[in-house]
Amino acid sequence: MIAKKQKLSSGLTVTSKVFVRSRNGGATKIVREHYLRNDIPCYSKLCHKCHTILKPDSKGELPRFILSESPTRLEKEGSIHYVVVDTNIILHCIDLLENVDCFYDVIIPQTVLEEVKNRSFPIYQRIRSLVKSDEKRFVVFHNEFSESTFIARAKNESSNDYNDRSIRQVAKWYAEHLQESNEDIKVLFITNDKDNLQKAKTEGIVDAYNLTDYIEELPNADVLRDLIPQTSNNESFSSSDANETSYPEYYSNSRVLGGLKNGTLYQGILNISSYNFLEGTVQVGAFKKPLLILGTKNLNRGFNGDAVIVELLPKDKWREPSTTIIEEEVIGADDNADDDGDEEIEFINDKERRLLAQEAIKETTAATSSTDGAHSRLQPTAKVVGVSRRSWRYYVGQIAPTSVSKDHDTGNSAKSCFVILMDKVLPKIRIRTRKAKELLGQRIVVAVDSWPSTSKYPQGHFVRCLGEIESAEAETEALLLEHDVEYRPFSKNVLDCLPKEGDSWVVPQDFETTTKRKDLRDKLVCSIDPPGCVDIDDALHAGILPNGNYEVGVHIADVTHFVKPNTALDSEGASRGTSVYLVDKRIDMLPMLLGTNLCSLKPYVERFAFSVIWELDEDANIVNVQYMKSVIKSREAFSYEKAQNRIDDPKQQDELTQSMRVLLKLSKKLKQKRLDAGALNLASPEVKVHMDSETSDPGEVEIKKLLETNSLVEEFMLFANISVARKIYDSYPQTAMLRRHAPPPATNFEVLNNMLAVRKPSMPTISLESSKSLADSLDRCNDPKDPYFNTLLRIMSTRCMMAAEYFPSGSYGYPEFRHYGLAVDIYTHFTSPIRRYCDVVAHRQLAGAIGYEMLDLSHRDKSKMELIVKNINKRHRNAQFAGRASIEYYVGQVMRNNESEQEGYVIKCFNNGIVVLVPKFGVEGLIKLELLGDVNSAEYDEDKFELKFKDFNNKERVIGVFDKVKVDVKSIKDEVTGKRKAQLILK
Amino acid sequence: MELYSPEGLRIDGRRWNELRKFECRINTHPNSSDGSSFIEQGNTKVICMVQGPMEPVLRSQSNPNQANIEISITIANFSTTERKKRLKNEKRLVELKATLERTFEQSVMCKLYPRTVIQVNIHVLAQDGGLLAGITNAITLGLIDAGIAMYDYVSSISAGLYDTTPLLDLNTLEENDMSTLTIGVIGKSEKLALLLLEDKMPLDRLESVLAIGIAGGHRIRDLMDEEVRRHGNLRLSKVNV
Ligand SMILES: [Zn+2]
Repeated sequence: MIAKKQKLSSGLTVTSKVFVRSRNGGATKIVREHYLRNDIPCYSKLCHKCHTILKPDSKGELPRFILSESPTRLEKEGSIHYVVVDTNIILHCIDLLENVDCFYDVIIPQTVLEEVKNRSFPIYQRIRSLVKSDEKRFVVFHNEFSESTFIARAKNESSNDYNDRSIRQVAKWYAEHLQESNEDIKVLFITNDKDNLQKAKTEGIVDAYNLTDYIEELPNADVLRDLIPQTSNNESFSSSDANETSYPEYYSNSRVLGGLKNGTLYQGILNISSYNFLEGTVQVGAFKKPLLILGTKNLNRGFNGDAVIVELLPKDKWREPSTTIIEEEVIGADDNADDDGDEEIEFINDKERRLLAQEAIKETTAATSSTDGAHSRLQPTAKVVGVSRRSWRYYVGQIAPTSVSKDHDTGNSAKSCFVILMDKVLPKIRIRTRKAKELLGQRIVVAVDSWPSTSKYPQGHFVRCLGEIESAEAETEALLLEHDVEYRPFSKNVLDCLPKEGDSWVVPQDFETTTKRKDLRDKLVCSIDPPGCVDIDDALHAGILPNGNYEVGVHIADVTHFVKPNTALDSEGASRGTSVYLVDKRIDMLPMLLGTNLCSLKPYVERFAFSVIWELDEDANIVNVQYMKSVIKSREAFSYEKAQNRIDDPKQQDELTQSMRVLLKLSKKLKQKRLDAGALNLASPEVKVHMDSETSDPGEVEIKKLLETNSLVEEFMLFANISVARKIYDSYPQTAMLRRHAPPPATNFEVLNNMLAVRKPSMPTISLESSKSLADSLDRCNDPKDPYFNTLLRIMSTRCMMAAEYFPSGSYGYPEFRHYGLAVDIYTHFTSPIRRYCDVVAHRQLAGAIGYEMLDLSHRDKSKMELIVKNINKRHRNAQFAGRASIEYYVGQVMRNNESEQEGYVIKCFNNGIVVLVPKFGVEGLIKLELLGDVNSAEYDEDKFELKFKDFNNKERVIGVFDKVKVDVKSIKDEVTGKRKAQLILK
Repeated sequence: MELYSPEGLRIDGRRWNELRKFECRINTHPNSSDGSSFIEQGNTKVICMVQGPMEPVLRSQSNPNQANIEISITIANFSTTERKKRLKNEKRLVELKATLERTFEQSVMCKLYPRTVIQVNIHVLAQDGGLLAGITNAITLGLIDAGIAMYDYVSSISAGLYDTTPLLDLNTLEENDMSTLTIGVIGKSEKLALLLLEDKMPLDRLESVLAIGIAGGHRIRDLMDEEVRRHGNLRLSKVNV
């Protein structure tokens, strides 16, 4: 296919790219123009020539030269060098490319970048951010547009071969081009493809290396050797592979596309049960119930969170979801990583087979006694036949001690061993390392490289070590990594966006003439926060107007005065999305300087604020509302307790206290209205860990207590959020940043209602009709003998609810904006811009809506807003999980020192164990049948949600859901995962 | 594919302010029409044939004060990668037709030809973005070839906005992904005979997009002018012989 070339008067050469696209069974020939140019520079500071050919962009800026004048020297050769990498190096060794110890001055051909983008978008983004940051001096060279490197595709050449040839052409051109300016420079071509290496050598590219050989050329090869990913290493696991029976191969791409189109295959996200790692579900639009995927063979190498393609199994294989708990650590924890020998030849081992048999028996008995009840629980089953997107990321875990051979020490050669991940729904990962022994007992980070069908476990490589297991630092870092929280310090780029004055920044005295801000310094503003709060993002004031109505103001730190759109500071905040609160640590969304000083509405100093001021009547109805950017001066910063005391103290009659009483009075009315409308009061076992400040050891655990003043602040924050939501929706009907909470699907409450009907027949069922009826029915579910029962039910109901989510207003119709939990028609987050990015966007949109300043494009564009909300929804979720995990860890540390007997409630029942929640610590734990009593005589009654067994004293016991039980709580360290968890023993 | 890479290159290798290949011919169908032209803007290809000014078939069509311009557009089924049948009165086509008629009623000295009709037939052979611009340029050349008096060239070009960068002369891939502005510039002036914005564009960015559009229009005018002069000289040389 030799396309004709034509020189244009503008100096460009035009040719065409012709390719055939097959879609819907037909083939379409597509012709696109392709322009070649001679003004693409090499970006090397060594080059003498390219400076004359530069062309400016639309802002008049010229391209910058990135590649260093004095790059790293090769150890043996002694010459300085740049490298050109191929696609597979990037896809498999991205960690190494990001490593600070190697890979500086890297040239990425456009051909490679495009292949990477097609194969893995996340890796493409990582490469792009490497290029952007400059730190490692990566450049993208648009070889396909450059006259000197563009090559035409040869007749009958496959696209792979053509791309490989294009990449080699880049290496060749760079070497020749730079020779002319500096004779000492070498341009290395790195690929792991033997064929490609061979061709490079015959084409006269002398400096072609595979990754392993290249690393050996570097002065710090010792440090780097272990980090080389496994797939790049040909001989890695071949010895053991032969012994393993294989997984079914994935379907070909075309078969998958065809299947999806004709409805025989489905696509969805695989969700592995947290109680049973051999059971997954995939929610598919076509079915009401999720598809069940049972057993390793059907799961077929799918990871929790992967986007998978599934195929239904015949109807006779449809099942009920398992009522058995299976954890990987139980099965095959003692596998030897190198020797998958005799007992492993059969694919499912005996234990798995037994469990399957057990399931099968239950299935058949259910079929013979075929009542309708049993059948309605049947769920369609499916098998995984392809993975369209892997959820692979960094994982934290520890080396399984049993997988490290102890018998002989053969020095420095790499050995296979297993890494057991903290996330127990994931399989263990096989890595090769020379340092297995040193790494025993350490928390380590690994990356997954591949999972060939011939290997029982996925293969990965060691990334780095976090520290000793159970040390606070290692565990904290581990949980941040596990929840994908960015915790590195802010980069210089970001910090450069802060005001130059730093901590000594003050409100400029001429603000009245230079800005449109309102002067509200005479208002009696105060803030009420938890004790010791340093980042005060909200403050309040109230007063009585001459007409008898009330004036109430909510003042929020004006963060967007400092965080301007399209700055490094803004994009960092947008990507972090939220601050993350751990027990002993806070990961800020924005730099400290803003949070704790410039944007903190501290008392006695002037601060910029964004104010919402209402006129309210006696019944707290809105008469008028105004929004304005302002300058305020807070009179006092109270803690909840101090504010409460001051309000309660009749001797305090000063104006500030009076205004707080007004606020309290109005807040109670607002709250009542909300409750009348059906706002929910759901419970979660919120636990606070007291830190002993001397030793920074966690001292004791306490459930958080609430004061009236807590709800005072909360009510007005909700009130402000609602008012702002209306205003920005009014001005930006397509892109307003809002937050919605969908009503819970009825199926979520089915099981809970069944449990209630069977176990607590006296209780009314929970009604879902509206949030009001739900709230009412929860109120009625009271057990006079046990006040905690109501809370328990609320905790369990919370788990049946949908998660609230951010969205741009254009994505849903108005009726779906509803916030079910708060029972309001529209809602957003406006009141915490220091720690949530949603609020930052809402601030900018409100400023645009009131005509204070132009709203940035990115918040007026629906597709950009969708990207923003997608990220902040994810970050928000991760932050919550990370916070919970942190509490869990510290609770574990507390319990380590105090073993005690506690009251607990059974919240789930399986045929081989029960799950008990201990309110005192807010922990829940699984008690397996082996720890309850005699395994063989136990009987599980599924319809009654109860388990009958003989305990160790041979006493007959029946335990069911909602039962109050006494348990011994102690914390034990799991030797396999290295995770400390609460162990409960039934009394 | 990146529509506009951080290195400043577009999907087809152009920079932000570069035109695609622009080629034009006039008097392509001297036997079957009074004026004709063929233009290629990138891979967009348009033929234009002009009949008239002539007496209208129906009395009711004539206007005692000026000429009527009637434009008909035929889009070939094979003009896009996926073949599909197009109806003559598809909404988009009707709009396109109305836009063009309004533009040329103001640019042609219609008062000189009362009680006549000028019939313009457009055939779109291939589409790759900038359809309105391509048709406009083809009509301008067709009218010139037919010897119909105009105030000046109407040279047309599209431009879009990617993030904050204005991009000139969009192809299909680009057009699908950003809001597109098409303008028709009058001669070497900064006056516009045509301005059509599809989708929204923030007001504060419009100026920069207009600016590259006008610059691009001037370059198109020069290329068309070159062709008109080349053809004029050719004819002149024949007369002299
Ligand atoms: Zn150069």
